[in-house]
Amino acid sequence: MIQATRNYFTFLWRCGRIAFVGDWRYYAWMGLLTAICLFGLNAYCKQLVHGLIVTGMTDEVSWGVYIANFTFLVGVAAAAVMMVIPVYIYGNEDLHDLVIFGELLAVAAIVMCLAFVTVDLGRPDRFWHLIPGVGQFNFPASMLSWDVIVLNGYLLLNVYICGYLLYCRYQKKKPSKWFYYPFVFIAIVWAVSIHTVTAFLYVGLGGRPFWNSAIVGPRFLASAFTAGPALIILALQVVRRVTASAPAGITGRATTSALAAPRPATLEDLDLLAHHLPELETVSMDDRLASLHGATVLDVATGDVLLRQRTTEDSAFFVLSGRVVVKREENGRSRITRSAGPGEQFGEVSALAGTPRVATATAEERSLVLRLPAASLRRLMQSHKMNDIVQSRMSERLMITDHGLLMLRSIVQVSMLINVFLLLNEVFKEFYSGNLHVASAKYLFIGLHGHYALVPWIWTAIGLNVIAMALLVLPLSRSLKWLNVACVLCIIGIWIEKGMGLVIPGFIPTPLGAIVDYRPSLNETLVCLGIWAFGLLLYTIFLRMAVPILQGRLSKANEGQEL
Amino acid sequence: MTRRNFLRGAAAVSGLTALAASLSPLLELSDFTNVDQFMQKYYKELTPDEMAKVLKRIEGEVQRQYGIRPHVRDYKPMDGVEFVYCLNLTRCIGCRKCVHACVAENNQSRNPEIQYIRVLKLPHGSLDMDKADHNYAPAAVPEPGFFYMPVQCQQCKNPPCVKVCPVHATWQETDGITVIDYSWCIGCRYCEAACPYFARRFNFADPEIPKNRLNPNMSYLGNRPRKRGVMEKCHFCIQRTRAGRYPACVEVCPVGARKFGNILDPESEVSYILREKRIFIQLKEEMGTSPRFFYYFDV
Repeated sequence: MIQATRNYFTFLWRCGRIAFVGDWRYYAWMGLLTAICLFGLNAYCKQLVHGLIVTGMTDEVSWGVYIANFTFLVGVAAAAVMMVIPVYIYGNEDLHDLVIFGELLAVAAIVMCLAFVTVDLGRPDRFWHLIPGVGQFNFPASMLSWDVIVLNGYLLLNVYICGYLLYCRYQKKKPSKWFYYPFVFIAIVWAVSIHTVTAFLYVGLGGRPFWNSAIVGPRFLASAFTAGPALIILALQVVRRVTASAPAGITGRATTSALAAPRPATLEDLDLLAHHLPELETVSMDDRLASLHGATVLDVATGDVLLRQRTTEDSAFFVLSGRVVVKREENGRSRITRSAGPGEQFGEVSALAGTPRVATATAEERSLVLRLPAASLRRLMQSHKMNDIVQSRMSERLMITDHGLLMLRSIVQVSMLINVFLLLNEVFKEFYSGNLHVASAKYLFIGLHGHYALVPWIWTAIGLNVIAMALLVLPLSRSLKWLNVACVLCIIGIWIEKGMGLVIPGFIPTPLGAIVDYRPSLNETLVCLGIWAFGLLLYTIFLRMAVPILQGRLSKANEGQEL
Repeated sequence: MTRRNFLRGAAAVSGLTALAASLSPLLELSDFTNVDQFMQKYYKELTPDEMAKVLKRIEGEVQRQYGIRPHVRDYKPMDGVEFVYCLNLTRCIGCRKCVHACVAENNQSRNPEIQYIRVLKLPHGSLDMDKADHNYAPAAVPEPGFFYMPVQCQQCKNPPCVKVCPVHATWQETDGITVIDYSWCIGCRYCEAACPYFARRFNFADPEIPKNRLNPNMSYLGNRPRKRGVMEKCHFCIQRTRAGRYPACVEVCPVGARKFGNILDPESEVSYILREKRIFIQLKEEMGTSPRFFYYFDV
């Protein structure tokens, strides 16, 4: 128990340390974000001293960009987890690693949501009045009390799931399904709930006809499923860029001097492997002897290439000593997908499936590697334990493939179509019926009684959304460059549509017919930028920790080694 | 000292300096909260003794700030009383005397301006709020072709603001008045978004009240001075009506358009009006809020 706690704290300590280590680009990025955060903090301190008068909000428009950003980010958080569905329900392996990045994004987004709600409070010092059991919690009558529960619950769920999966990866242990599957399914339902509850905050207000429409909930979900995965597509490509170690082509010398003279493997070699891979002990002596047929041991020097991407041959490898790094080339760049130490395997997926190699393996230091023909590996895998460990480690690769990104593209594509369709429904209902409740919609889309403050915003949003939709539907966006353009456009478009386009016009005109325009003040804008910078800072740190763990470079096995 | 350590130290020092600089506005933060205020219990959980202490403390705070010793009481609803308001739209001339009487009585902020009553100028024949003029300023009222409709908290029987408050900081009392515990409100402004009558006001800044204008007759749930960051609204002048007087707006109305009383008393003026008048309306009746505020006409 004590040992387990100590291990866990070592894990946290090492994760914490790595957040402070990086190349100059990392320091520059983090320095920039920290600076923006501090400007935001400064602006918030001014707001604390003078009150919300420093914002553009008034009694007429009593919620502004804080709540607009909150609403948008709840959507991002919800959508991040919805990507879990194809992986766990349909068993789609292409998205497997993407899930952890998605859930980490959810954590960062929820923290930003909580920050935006907090800065919107007039009396943040009285937050404890909201704590169930301590304060006076108006549950279930107030939708805001539901939001407190679902947001905090969602945060805990995602922190737990990501933390558990990453810690298992770190220990190179197979995650126990019982410890996370139930939570993953709860998180999926919970993701729908956080967004629906947030929509209900608005929908439930009978005095605001612009919000009091049943379609707001579905619209929220559709726009969230557009903006969320779009944001993840962009984030993943940044991860790919940053983890790219070198331009393709110069990875590894072509020299295969040692490979020229492999020696046949012996039972002692298997014993050496069993020392690092205890599951091998469960293999019967017959199977072990049989597996030695055709097996060889390679003594390789730093930089030697053991297998090459796109070639086909049927052997799998186990590292006996040293370290081998597996890199995958795509679009002219190569990225580390796995780093294998003693007892660990590589090349087994293509060997067992008989498919071309998807990556290139290079010795990172002088290493001893056992090469097994596919038939030998299958023989060893007749033992259940051996089978389980090999199978579970197959998924231990950091693979952000183009295919995975294009899967996300189809999610964005469909959601965007539904989003625009629902928006048109809303517009039709508002304008065709022509009753008095159309005032807010008129103010938003065409201006009302000489007030046009939101008109440029909403038409910009519609323009961006339509262009993004066109790009997404056209085959053009199968190229990542155009996909990125579409993603940026729909994130901005939906941010405006949900913020300036949904929260603000609900207040204009007021229930008594007054039209008071709203414009965020400089101080308010700085606070928003500060929170966004803080969220990005958090997400960058999460990625900084998660990527080496997923690649196997940060693991329990290499404790004590500097990265 | 290695170059690396030097850089690390420099980064840490400049980081901490920047942090301190960004937090510096907090030095001006005074009188935001203190231990007593922070720890103060919810209104309904205060024992009579604790309430007495809280009232004393508030009196002291007001004296320190305004130089006048006020009399702060916790007026309780009376048994067998349910207040109702009736406003005669035929009579109202739009003079806004009610607005100013209310501001003076209830210690509302003069800067930024907070007013509980909003008088709408509407063209003859229409109750469409989109046609309302909120900022009319003619040389003399009434103007031909228009009528005037003052709107304030409608004291709903089914108040949306109470339902949405996440911390029970606002509730309906047995005499029908919806009140706010200013010491409990967290300032989320959800009630303000929920109110269909634009009746609620938020203290975006610390209220400013001239010292010589302070009304020293105060109630805990009513007109004691508020702080920035909390909601307030019309409370039918609790400090007057629960002591048997009329609200300030009723008293000041020069044309007798405003009537106030106990609907549970069949002899009261409001009972008579609601019994005898052929037409009276509740604003936005279709909302199902069931206001205790009725508009009627001389027909």
